[in-house]
Amino acid sequence: MSEIWVLVDKAQDVVRNVTYEGLAAALKLKEKNGATVCAIYVGDNAGAIEADLGKYGAEKFYKVENPALSDFNPSLYATALSEVIKKHNPDIVIGGNTLKNQDYLPRVASRTSAGLSLDSIDVDINSSSALEIKKYKYSGKSIATIAFHDVKPMIATVRLNAFKPIEGSGSPEVIAESVELPADENYKVVETKIIPKERPELTEADKIVSGGRGMANGENFQIVYDLADSIGAGAGASRAAVDSGWVPYEMQVGQTGKVVSPNLYVAVGISGSVQHYAGMGSSKVIVAINKDPDAPIFQKCDYGICGDLFDILPALTDEIKKLG
Amino acid sequence: MKILVIVRQTPDTEAKIQANSDGNGIKTDDIKWILNPFDEYAVEEAVQIKEKTGAEVVILTVGADRSVDALRQALAMGGDSGVHIKDESFADMDPYALGKVIGSKIKALGDIDLIFAGKKWIDEESSQVPIQVAEEIGIPQATLASKVEVDDASKTVKVTSVIEGGEEVRELKFPALITVEQGINEPRYASLPGIMKAKKKPCEEVGPDGINGDEIGISGEALGAAGSRISVNSIEIPTISRSLKVLDGRAEAVQASADLAKLLREEAKII
Ligand SMILES: Cc1cc2nc3c(=O)[nH]c(=O)nc-3n(C[C@H](O)[C@H](O)[C@H](O)COP(=O)(O)OP(=O)(O)OC[C@H]3O[C@@H](n4cnc5c(N)ncnc54)[C@H](O)[C@@H]3O)c2cc1C
Repeated sequence: MSEIWVLVDKAQDVVRNVTYEGLAAALKLKEKNGATVCAIYVGDNAGAIEADLGKYGAEKFYKVENPALSDFNPSLYATALSEVIKKHNPDIVIGGNTLKNQDYLPRVASRTSAGLSLDSIDVDINSSSALEIKKYKYSGKSIATIAFHDVKPMIATVRLNAFKPIEGSGSPEVIAESVELPADENYKVVETKIIPKERPELTEADKIVSGGRGMANGENFQIVYDLADSIGAGAGASRAAVDSGWVPYEMQVGQTGKVVSPNLYVAVGISGSVQHYAGMGSSKVIVAINKDPDAPIFQKCDYGICGDLFDILPALTDEIKKLG
Repeated sequence: MKILVIVRQTPDTEAKIQANSDGNGIKTDDIKWILNPFDEYAVEEAVQIKEKTGAEVVILTVGADRSVDALRQALAMGGDSGVHIKDESFADMDPYALGKVIGSKIKALGDIDLIFAGKKWIDEESSQVPIQVAEEIGIPQATLASKVEVDDASKTVKVTSVIEGGEEVRELKFPALITVEQGINEPRYASLPGIMKAKKKPCEEVGPDGINGDEIGISGEALGAAGSRISVNSIEIPTISRSLKVLDGRAEAVQASADLAKLLREEAKII
């Protein structure tokens, strides 16, 4: 029976939501082709996660554990996954569009002679029984439908937040695979620094509040953070705010920053340039706060307030807190 | 030391994108083309290393005739010579085929120590081709570099990379491929003399004859679209349809804020 594999992503000991989103995409495909939905873990230690994976739709769970995978080396990860793919020949492999997956799946594609498309916003099986995905092209200005040729496996990553996890019940059959990994003399991890974050990572955040040139300086971003914290949102910025040195580059949203698709995006003192919109245009609800009634963002938002952000933002934070 | 930079020509970030008559590509006539903005950082990084070590910098691109402009811009920034892989049969290649074609050309060039690329192509919205190139030629890669320290004597490079939730320092042996993060440097503008000089710099044009398929395990006819694994069926231009409910908060900031909070709670059900 044909199989659809979903890559398991873990942060420390917990399975990241993106894994369940990938399983949801696989379940959608299964409705069309009846394939078995399988989770696959590649790393040094899976831990006891099979119950969680089963709950979100995995019928089988391949575990590929090897101590050599404790550091992330894209080449070794590619070797591990490619070997198991060659052994079991899944039809389709799905992963979240995480930095790690973007880093090693291209190698897997080359090694297994597979097609790969990154950052899908939708997946389907077409009339030729092949995987067909939709993804943004040309900086969010177009959506392409891309069909895979009849070469297996077909590999795709899905944009974070594009699929909603589907809860069910089930307990997957666990299959442990071992792979031989040669030492890699050419690549060494010297140091990994995880910098604790006060707010959700932008690409994963359910809500985001971003500030632009209208913030006028770095200290003023405090009122952006206050609103963000009142609704559990991540905090972002326009390039103008980043280039002015008010906030770090990792906060930049847009064509040359992060591409995000939260349920709520609040743009504060941001004019709504095409380059900014390219990074947040797929957000579900967009709210704009700007003092210029003619700002382009007011033509691209669901809700907005025309007014001075220094009056509006604290008031809005207060009103939201009042709602409880 | 020899450095190669893979660059791409992309539509300008302001360009209006429209589907072509076949519906599976875009209208290219009225588009202004630029060097992919992320590639500017890759070229700059290579040129800075050249200025420190005397390295030679080769710029490589794949694309239609017009792509030579992106190549020349990179040469004007300080590249020494160009390689332009172009042929109609290459037009519809997917990343898999592109990785093979670029990889095989780089293999044929030989003795490259470092390859740089931008972190993403803004037209394809994809970061995969440089990594597939690294795989084809069998060298390590470090992506999203925010700092690159080259040690020519020991033939190693130390790369600080952005990772989810933090950063990681990696040490790679030559030859290695590095994609750079925006902000790693301040890309220079090409000066007028630089642009003049760039016109005279050697630029090799490579057609299908110049790509040795055997070396990469594909036959000649599979070099183009036939060697691809995916293809674009259609392109749609999404229309922006949003509800545009804008409240006036210029006089009554608190009232407008209360109204917005209520809308977000009761109508959008989002907070
Ligand atoms: C190649 C390229 C790539 C780019 N990539 C990106 C990218 O990734 N992300 C990005 O964001 N931009 C990007 N840009 C830049 C983009 O073109 C815009 O310059 C930028 O987005 C503008 O940022 P902004 O909206 O904060 O500033 P502005 O356009 O200056 O807008 C500021 C807004 O704040 C409002 N304002 C000012 N004061 C107040 C106040 N007190 N109260 C309320 N409103 C106020 C103003 O009315 C104005 O609308 C890119 C540009 C290029 C050429």
